[in-house]
Amino acid sequence: MRLNIQMLISHGRVARKMGLGPESRINMLRNILTGLVRHERIETTRGRADEVRFYAEKLIDYAKKGDTDEKAMKMANFWLTEKDLIPKLFKVLAPRFETQPKAYTRMARIPNRENLDKAAMAVLEYKGNPFPPLQTAKRDNELTLINQLLKGYREERAQQAAAKVEA
Amino acid sequence: MRRLAQGECDDGKPTKFTPPPKPVIIDKTQSEASLRKFLSPEFIPPRQRINPLKFSIERKDMIQRRKVLNIPEFYVGSVLAVTMADPHASGKTNRFMGICIQRGGHGLGATFVLRNIIDGQGVEICYEMYSPRLQQLEVLKLEKRLDNNLMYLRDALPEYSTVNLDMKPVPHSVTGDVPVNKTRVRMRPKPWSKRWERPKYNVQGIRFDLCLSPEKLEHAQTWAEPWREYDMLKEYDTTALEERILKEVQTEMSK
Repeated sequence: MRLNIQMLISHGRVARKMGLGPESRINMLRNILTGLVRHERIETTRGRADEVRFYAEKLIDYAKKGDTDEKAMKMANFWLTEKDLIPKLFKVLAPRFETQPKAYTRMARIPNRENLDKAAMAVLEYKGNPFPPLQTAKRDNELTLINQLLKGYREERAQQAAAKVEA
Repeated sequence: MRRLAQGECDDGKPTKFTPPPKPVIIDKTQSEASLRKFLSPEFIPPRQRINPLKFSIERKDMIQRRKVLNIPEFYVGSVLAVTMADPHASGKTNRFMGICIQRGGHGLGATFVLRNIIDGQGVEICYEMYSPRLQQLEVLKLEKRLDNNLMYLRDALPEYSTVNLDMKPVPHSVTGDVPVNKTRVRMRPKPWSKRWERPKYNVQGIRFDLCLSPEKLEHAQTWAEPWREYDMLKEYDTTALEERILKEVQTEMSK
């Protein structure tokens, strides 16, 4: 077949191929997500951690709706294979992230696995877990001049947007 | 005694001409715009990595076209009549009517497919809603069906796709729910153009019990993907977007 640039472009596909097919991919993600909800910090390969991150955050969004919501309960029942974690999700994790709107997870990279495959590994955790803090990639120093000016600019833009919404 | 000539009253002076009272035409079919909250599906942008500016510009153009040509509210399953400009026809227009079986496309490229059976031959024409060739769109019968896509009418018995060419417009109410036609269609014998029994098409409007055995229906269910409804990646929630766009379109159209 023609080997062209289009083959390297995903054209809008956001789901990685994992395992033996779409069903296998969902089952694998389910297992990893269950482990994450149980232990709150797990170690997997980088690709799997990246995929699970999206589903972990969406699961918390559903859990925030409360356990009386039918859809939320169905989702939790599907994604958590160990059913003793469903009350943990609704009663411990959802209240923990009530104030935060978006980022509930943190991903940090780890040296490659020692096995023959030397797989690139990552650690995925829910924020606010009881373990000692991870060393994530450092952001730029906020106290430099350029970063302070940019911070001020961003705050001004936010203020203007808020004033526009009120008016 | 002299007879009074026309235009003379008793005094002998000419009467003031009083015009006859205007006839009041009550067009019950579709003169008023629909009072339902309906946003045409082509206004809703698909899930893409495109700058939203493109969609807002396109919406402006669509509203401008809608101010010239009245595009009424219709659904898949309603009967429409379309007059289009045709340079090769006598009278320069041609008129086609049929059941709408599919509404596709987004933005200015929105299309709808009308199907009818004329002289025993099934005919489907795909019209672009915002094409300048369209001159009039009439909804002869406004109704919904059990599915969003009636492509299976190609494999159904012809009586379900025929629309009488001299059909008169059926009056429909401007408020309230759109009537849902719950007919379930009988099919011709297999092979069909698509395997409509498979769950990916999610067809509610076919009488499968008359054409397929229960074993075949069970075998078709092996292609069901029960994890799909739980896959959060595939969800696209458009309610907030729809409300915003509906308000914008209504304000622009009333200007």
